[in-house]
Amino acid sequence: MKKKTISGKKLFLYLILTAIFSVAVLSVAVIYFRIYTAEVSDDSYSRTFSHYYAMITDDYKSSFWQSVYRGASEEALEDGVFVELFGSNLTYNYSSEELMEMAISAQVDGILVAGNGREEMTQLIGRASARGIPVVTMYSDNEDSARCSFVGVNGYNIGSEYGRQVIRAREELLRLAEATGNEVWTGQNKRVTSIAVLFDDKTSAYDQNVILSGIVDAMSAQMKNSEFDIRTVAVDSTNPFSVEESVHSVFMEEQVPDIFVCLSELDTTVVYQAVVDFNMVGKVKILGYYDSEKILDAISRGVVFSTLTVNTDELGRFGVKALVEYSEYGNTSQYVTADVIIIDRSNVAEYTKKVEEDEE
Amino acid sequence: MKNKIKNIPLSVKISGIFIMANIFSLVVIVVLLLGINSLSRRMEESYQDNLHLNEAIEALDNLQRAMTEYLNSKSTDSLSDYYSREQAFSGMVQELNERITDRTPDRMERNIKFMSEDYLERVAETIEAKRGRNIEKYRTSYEETNRQYEYIKAYMRSLNEERFAENSARYTALARNFRRFEFLAMSVMIVVLLGSAFLITGLTGTIIYPLRELARTADEVSNANFDVELPASSGSDEVGRLNTAFRKMLISIRDYIDRLRTSMENEQIMQKRELMMETHLKDAQLKYLQAQINPHFLFNTLNAGAQLAMMEGADRTYEYVQTVADFFRYNVKKLDAPVTIEEEVNLVDAYISILNVRFSGDIHYDRQVDKRLLNVKMPGMILQPIVENAVNHGIREMGDRGRIDLKVYRDEDRVYISVRDNGKGMSPEDIEKVVACRWESDEKKSDGGGIAMDNVISRLKLYAGREDVVEIRSGGSDQGTEVIINFTPHEDEEIEDGE
Repeated sequence: MKKKTISGKKLFLYLILTAIFSVAVLSVAVIYFRIYTAEVSDDSYSRTFSHYYAMITDDYKSSFWQSVYRGASEEALEDGVFVELFGSNLTYNYSSEELMEMAISAQVDGILVAGNGREEMTQLIGRASARGIPVVTMYSDNEDSARCSFVGVNGYNIGSEYGRQVIRAREELLRLAEATGNEVWTGQNKRVTSIAVLFDDKTSAYDQNVILSGIVDAMSAQMKNSEFDIRTVAVDSTNPFSVEESVHSVFMEEQVPDIFVCLSELDTTVVYQAVVDFNMVGKVKILGYYDSEKILDAISRGVVFSTLTVNTDELGRFGVKALVEYSEYGNTSQYVTADVIIIDRSNVAEYTKKVEEDEE
Repeated sequence: MKNKIKNIPLSVKISGIFIMANIFSLVVIVVLLLGINSLSRRMEESYQDNLHLNEAIEALDNLQRAMTEYLNSKSTDSLSDYYSREQAFSGMVQELNERITDRTPDRMERNIKFMSEDYLERVAETIEAKRGRNIEKYRTSYEETNRQYEYIKAYMRSLNEERFAENSARYTALARNFRRFEFLAMSVMIVVLLGSAFLITGLTGTIIYPLRELARTADEVSNANFDVELPASSGSDEVGRLNTAFRKMLISIRDYIDRLRTSMENEQIMQKRELMMETHLKDAQLKYLQAQINPHFLFNTLNAGAQLAMMEGADRTYEYVQTVADFFRYNVKKLDAPVTIEEEVNLVDAYISILNVRFSGDIHYDRQVDKRLLNVKMPGMILQPIVENAVNHGIREMGDRGRIDLKVYRDEDRVYISVRDNGKGMSPEDIEKVVACRWESDEKKSDGGGIAMDNVISRLKLYAGREDVVEIRSGGSDQGTEVIINFTPHEDEEIEDGE
């Protein structure tokens, strides 16, 4: 009798085991399958945004604009807005104006554009705002346009900073001359310090003047006007190699300037290369622009005296903030200034470290 | 539930298990196939959006061409062509995504959509201007649409490339997953196979279990062990029925054996009882005979007679009575213990002398006895009955011619006693009967109190432990009879060799 129940129970147990086993195997298979297929379809990972801003610049590949974009993007994400470096996904390189046209046509919710002072751009800005798209110019302005705000650095401030750096550079040149007993610098007929300010031909005359007056004002405060000779060098930036040609021609002149003030990243690197090529390291001081890795490296090696950089992160953030503010309240501050940072040998290590941390 | 399962026929159970295992495998295979199917479909779909985009680009080209054609020719055909192209392109545009996500292709699609809508509007304006012959307007408008057309196309191409890169990555991922899935499917199949094997083995084992038990029990039964534990009955499937039949058979066999045993026992008891009855009868007969002859009384009486005869001086009477007394005294003795040959011979002497007095005739009695054998033990009451037989059946009617010879001699280890008469003799048949102890009934009755030959022979046989204790020789009618008995003295007796 006992055996009978055990056998029955066994049978029952087997049936239950079968059920559990089959369910387990099937569910494992199904779960694995789901996981594997879910891995492939990344639709679920995308996030949807309510607003869409386009950031437009001629030179979206430069680390300067990439850095600005990072700042803008971070700020936008906080506000539920997506900022796109417009045109970066396109196969062809389009000019700012063309990209503007596209952005307007695509009815984005806002445009951040690197102003260039050109009439065509001004018109496009007008067209955008006519179609209800607020435009913020960044870094350089199109003053007469219908832009809602300009976020940039104050040209005069930049000039003043450069002026102070020129004085410091000159002092160092003098110290070096005294140490080496160089007659040209120490003798009765002390030579006039020659300063070359390299302007991009894209930069508006107005901007050039503002920066230049900033430099001159800062220098005049500490030096006699007879002690320095300042001149501007127009750098042809119409094609990728013309910059190098322009700089080269300066170095071919009889009197090479003592101090170069470079107002773009490219100018800085080209001048730096020329100084090395012409074996004039130490004799020529370079005041650079922007904090690219190459420039920072040159500072730490003493080839570039100092560099001036805009707080790009701030620039991007302020731009997005202005747009958000404008779309929310219909108005915003017309003029927003981002900070300027001076990097020289004393703080380059610290700055490099900070940049690396940010990029991570 | 359990019983229901138990009552299902064995064939159904076993096939059920296999069907279940197969269905299970089938389900797994179907699931795996569905997975493979869905994966391959997704792989096929990978480049689907590229195809759609290409179609959209073509539609855009067509529209642009149609518009240009109309602006060139202003023909009705080109206008209707333009309308159909416009319809086709705007239909495609409608399907585009307009969500803003962090996925680049999504946003590109959105931009294309809005740009296309803008473009369509502008195209419509251009066509309208052309129809209205507003030359200035349609020229600028046309330039603008051309630019937009280029932009959109560029955007579409870029998106196509973007998509292609993405789809390629996805395709690669899918292909990798496909291989992984292949491995997974293989593993699952192996697991399922093993599981099925395990289940089938287990379940079949469970179902076959009663059959095995039955086989074990049958083995034991075939080894003549009928007291095995009966196999458990298990439902009413084939095994269950077999089990039940086996149980019934076993029980029947046990019953049958029991009945057989009882009847055999009964028979034995009956036989025993019969034997007992016979013994008791004999016993009763003996008691009866003993009661008839009270030897003590007879002996005392005869003693008294002898004394009386002596007192009266009748010597021969005294002697006769004394002999008779001696004869009876021998009978009084307990005869269950062996006696000596001498005592037996003396008894024969006494018997013959009594007879000679009784029948006033002379029986010629002669004896030759090896005196060394006188002390040899033998059963009592043997010789006298033999002699009595010889007298009664052999020489009774011969008057004084009758003779009895008694011989006691030894040959090797046996002692021989021969009683020979010269009387009527015996037929071989009778001899055979007597020797075989089949001489009974009528003889008994006619003779009364004597001790029958069969008794003598039986006792001798018992004493000797052999069959050939008696030999009867007769030459035929009137040729006399010789009865020779022989026995082996028991080992503790010593034959006197002295004289």
